[in-house]
Amino acid sequence: MAGLTLTKGSNLSLTKTDPGLNKVLVGLGWDPRTTTGDAFDLDASALLLGADGKVRSSADFIFYNQPAAADGSVVHQGDNRSGEGDGDDEVIAIELSAVGADVERIVFVVSIDQADTRRQNFGQVRSAYCRVVNRESDVEVVRYDLSEDAAPETCMIFSELYRHNGEWKFKAVGQGYATGLAGVAADFGVHLG
Amino acid sequence: MSSLTLSKGSNLSLTKADPGLRKAMIGLGWDPRSTAGEQFDLDASALLVRADGKVRSNDDFIFYNQLSSKDGSIVHQGDNRTGEGEGDDEQILIDLDAVAADIAKIVIVVSIDQAEARRQNFGQVRDAFCRVVNQETDNEVVRYDLTEDAAAETCMIFAEIYRNGGEWKFRAVGQGYASGLRGVATDFGIVLD
Repeated sequence: MAGLTLTKGSNLSLTKTDPGLNKVLVGLGWDPRTTTGDAFDLDASALLLGADGKVRSSADFIFYNQPAAADGSVVHQGDNRSGEGDGDDEVIAIELSAVGADVERIVFVVSIDQADTRRQNFGQVRSAYCRVVNRESDVEVVRYDLSEDAAPETCMIFSELYRHNGEWKFKAVGQGYATGLAGVAADFGVHLG
Repeated sequence: MSSLTLSKGSNLSLTKADPGLRKAMIGLGWDPRSTAGEQFDLDASALLVRADGKVRSNDDFIFYNQLSSKDGSIVHQGDNRTGEGEGDDEQILIDLDAVAADIAKIVIVVSIDQAEARRQNFGQVRDAFCRVVNQETDNEVVRYDLTEDAAAETCMIFAEIYRNGGEWKFRAVGQGYASGLRGVATDFGIVLD
């Protein structure tokens, strides 16, 4: 089912029209490289942020080396290092009712591992996309074409889920981050080794 | 008295909330951009409008290139091009007692500079807000969350301060303007080259 096309910056309520919405997934997919060179290793990550816009601890950074939030509300289903496989190649599953009350936002990031050394960007990757799906109804909420619309980027804040006036809302961000996944994590307060 | 949070589309008279404004301050604030891409350059502007809905001359358009009205009743405190700094990043001070008798209302506009070329809208800007403060009581008459409630817009008529009997009253407008600041100015009778 085709997802809603949201313009960057727009937001929509997930729970206003569907107050029971609880299980959401963020899916990242792309085609494996057919041309010569290093494989494209795209990564989906999530950061749980408090009201101050920072993580509560490094445990709030969900990525390939730390796939589950302490409360189980956000679970990364595993790292795909080449894009092999149909459909979503990486999935982050979210259970909204399990998200800690002090978490105000969940930020979703897509990035290319070793983009700088491999001199890669999203535009070089075939059919790269990320999407948000209501896991209970299987309805795709939104899809973002990374290959087309994030072409020169190597790391991007794709979207956010956030609380607003008692609802969970989705916001289409689609903004690049020049300092990569490490930069995003550091800016949100994650202490990296 | 707590300020009113204006929801999108609301249009209401606040005479009971704040009868008789004499000195008003319009504040516009936002966070500097942390993601890749061009800075968000938000602008506050004001138009002195007659009863027929038009300005008397180009002198009645107070904006970054023309910081005060001829009678000194409206003074723009200066252009902020990135959002750097805490609190209000741009302010317009209005001394309503000094406004000429033939002016029926003051229209307050917030806009994003070069929004079309930069493909930006208020929703992409973090923590963008505009507000009106009664400077005599220090009461914040209204605050509008541009990021959340004007997400798809690039220019908005935020509010009007208008004469009513022997007093000045405030009206929250919060309506987008598709043709940008240029379009607003032209529609109110400003002749642009």
